[in-house]
Amino acid sequence: MENTSLAHHLILAGLLFVLGLTGVLIRRNLLVVYMCLELMLAAATLALVAFSRFNRTMDGAVLVFFVITVAAAEVAVGLALIVALFRKRGTVQSDALTTLRD
Amino acid sequence: MPSDLLSLVHWILFLPLGAAALSALFLRRAGGLAAWLSTGTAFVLAGLSLTLLTQASGDLTWHIELAKFGSISLGFGYLIDANARLMLFVVSFVAAWIHLFSVGYMKEDPARGRFFAGLSIFMFSILGIVVADNLLMTFIFWELVGFSSYMLIAHYFDKDYAAAASKKAFIVNRVGDLGFILGIAMCLSLYGTLDFVALKDHAAAAKTLPVAVGALLMCGFLGKSAQFPLHVWLTDAMAGPTPVSALIHAATMVAAGVYFMARVSFLLAPDVLNFIAISGAGMAALAGFCALAQTDIKKSLAYSTLAHLGIMGCAIGLGHPALALMHMAMHAFFKATLFLGAGSVIHGCHHEQDMLKMGGLLKKMPLTAATFIAATLSNCAVPFLAGWYSKDAIIEAAYHDGHIAIFAFLSLAALATCLYSGRMIRLVFLGEANSEEASHAHESPWTMTLPLVVLGLVYSVAGGFLAHTIIPAGSLKPIEHALGEVAFHLTAPSTIVGLLSLVIGFFGALKFYGTVRGADALQVVSPRTYHLLEHRWMDGLYRWYVDSVQRRVSEFIAFLDLLIINGVAVRWIGGGVPAVLGYLTGRSFHRGQTRAYALWIVLGSLFLAWFLIAR
Amino acid sequence: MPDGLFIFFAALTLGAALLLVVSRNAVTSAMGMILALVGVAADFFLLDAYFLGVLQVLVYAGAVMVLFLFIIMLLDTEDATGAYPWKTAALGLATFFLLAAGVLWLFHWSGAVSAVKAGATPPELSNNPAEFVTAAKAFGRLLYTKYLLPLEIAGFLLLVALVGVVSLSKDNPESNA
Repeated sequence: MENTSLAHHLILAGLLFVLGLTGVLIRRNLLVVYMCLELMLAAATLALVAFSRFNRTMDGAVLVFFVITVAAAEVAVGLALIVALFRKRGTVQSDALTTLRD
Repeated sequence: MPSDLLSLVHWILFLPLGAAALSALFLRRAGGLAAWLSTGTAFVLAGLSLTLLTQASGDLTWHIELAKFGSISLGFGYLIDANARLMLFVVSFVAAWIHLFSVGYMKEDPARGRFFAGLSIFMFSILGIVVADNLLMTFIFWELVGFSSYMLIAHYFDKDYAAAASKKAFIVNRVGDLGFILGIAMCLSLYGTLDFVALKDHAAAAKTLPVAVGALLMCGFLGKSAQFPLHVWLTDAMAGPTPVSALIHAATMVAAGVYFMARVSFLLAPDVLNFIAISGAGMAALAGFCALAQTDIKKSLAYSTLAHLGIMGCAIGLGHPALALMHMAMHAFFKATLFLGAGSVIHGCHHEQDMLKMGGLLKKMPLTAATFIAATLSNCAVPFLAGWYSKDAIIEAAYHDGHIAIFAFLSLAALATCLYSGRMIRLVFLGEANSEEASHAHESPWTMTLPLVVLGLVYSVAGGFLAHTIIPAGSLKPIEHALGEVAFHLTAPSTIVGLLSLVIGFFGALKFYGTVRGADALQVVSPRTYHLLEHRWMDGLYRWYVDSVQRRVSEFIAFLDLLIINGVAVRWIGGGVPAVLGYLTGRSFHRGQTRAYALWIVLGSLFLAWFLIAR
Repeated sequence: MPDGLFIFFAALTLGAALLLVVSRNAVTSAMGMILALVGVAADFFLLDAYFLGVLQVLVYAGAVMVLFLFIIMLLDTEDATGAYPWKTAALGLATFFLLAAGVLWLFHWSGAVSAVKAGATPPELSNNPAEFVTAAKAFGRLLYTKYLLPLEIAGFLLLVALVGVVSLSKDNPESNA
């Protein structure tokens, strides 16, 4: 803990975010895409906690609390949507879902 | 306001909301339970209102502020004056018996839970209008009333005519409410407050009242109380179940407009009052005669309601809001009885509504017939019955104040009332049964006849008398005030006119409509008059206006929208940019691929981030 | 050179995240995700945010990921088969390195972060509850004072999500047809 600066945490958060983003872009399985989205969210919370810690305020940490709450709700609704989609279309591969074009 | 009375008002207002929520959320499938919950609530309400009527006196106020914008304060509060207490009692008492009637009438309906939830939410809304102490709160509950009326008219929503009628009622009311909300805005800008008490002080201090405020507020009244020219929705609203017609479209909701006008009467300029009086009197006469050309028993009664609303409006316009309220109360009792009687007849004749197919029901449904006839006589203002006290008082007031034209119109309306009443009695209860259904008619169960007896016999017949004796002095100030305004004696011009029209109209109609069987005598004698009275031309006029005028204008505006906003602003930028990019890269951007969209989002946010960082 | 623990957990997190992104089996991906989230939680601990770290493990790595695993197994989606999508992989690799270079530039080479925040170590913790403190009590204090309205809204959001999920997962034969 002695020598980690704010930049170290931010770089970790940034790399995690970019990894998640890449996953969102290249994966076809909607469930994996969704997990990658969650990873991006986690990366953002990491940055928030780091900022909060280095600025000696509580606000960022409280925001993380809300992010976790919202993410939990979002996961529940999103997964329900994916299940409903699977029931209707029989697949969760994003390539098969092109009705938006029409 | 004393705290015990305050909590009483809280209970009165929020009890029906609770009942509605319970029924709507949990009792949709348990219709029987919902019915009794709603009915029980209504009776408790009637008891609470009676307590309030007898215990309270003077103007009681209570107010909390909900929001403040600069100097404008919006709040929630009660203003319980004598008018409000009377209206609370009339509404909750009539409603309680109509609820009980509905228990029997709707017994076989699969959607009873929804129906009774609707009745309860209606109670909440109307009571909100009654107790409201400011214009905004009134408006909110006013809209809630519109919503519940819409919902209840559309109870048989799988029938096209019911769906159309509910839409019609809703839209016509919106037209009036547009004026209403503009009037509220104008009040706010002129006086800086929406509070009734403060408004009254401002109005009293002002030398002249602006015509526009009164005229705009009147628009709401025109819509809700079905005054000319926005009266067209009321007769169609009979598509709802009969108890709904009785509760909403005869006894209480349409009276809300009258009540509201009485509440803000201090804001109405003389020109506005004159307009209300003349149009009210004219509509009273017109609607009275139109009732002669309806074969549907409920529609005929609806025109009768229109006529009475015209009379009430006329009383407001003549500057006697107390008389209007008194007639509202009396009318609520006997018109509710008439509608419930009609409901009982319809129920007894296996859902036959055509009067020409009824007949001879006097022997088969004696209780219904007796109460119906009693209420009819009250409707005709036979001396010493409820209607006489209020209706003749208004006609007398018109004569007394020297408005001879209005007096003449109202006298015509009185004649028309007797004519259609006689016709109704003759066609429905006398003579021989004209159809299979009518010949197998049967008396209704006690849940339906008890309300008829209570509302009909007790109140239609002895309403005026009871108003003086049972209820303690002072609590019925508006009525006493009204009775003091016009002296009652049998030789007054109004009574003479009333008695004359009773003899000519009522007995004439009894005889005239006995001449032809299975058809309408007037239609046989003079088809053209009959057709004119069927009152289709008003709807035709609206249709012409919407089709030829309004549609043209809106099509022109739609064209402008398409050309300028959609064409130039949206399509050009939103469609042009991707098209150019697509042309440059040689592929379509709109392929329905989620990942491609995600990529565009990422590129867009990167661009934004670059823009923000490089700034 | 940063602290050894930080390097270990950062490597763990990034490695697990990489597993999540590249694995062709959804269950393996989920396992990677759990590990990555635990790594993030460990970093929370390193930042003295103990409460949030525990919350992260409980809610995310625990409840949310169990939900994910349930759904993955419920839907029983097929693994990606066929030839390895080299084109996509190359595209992904290029995207990743491009964006990662951007991140490194932004947080390291540009010097913007170290210019704002002098000092290579986090500032000392104090006992002032308005500042960053480790105790869960501080959260409660803020949640019920300064952030009361957001808390209420978050609660309402959870309720709405609950209702939404119930109505979504109701098997409605008419809308399914």
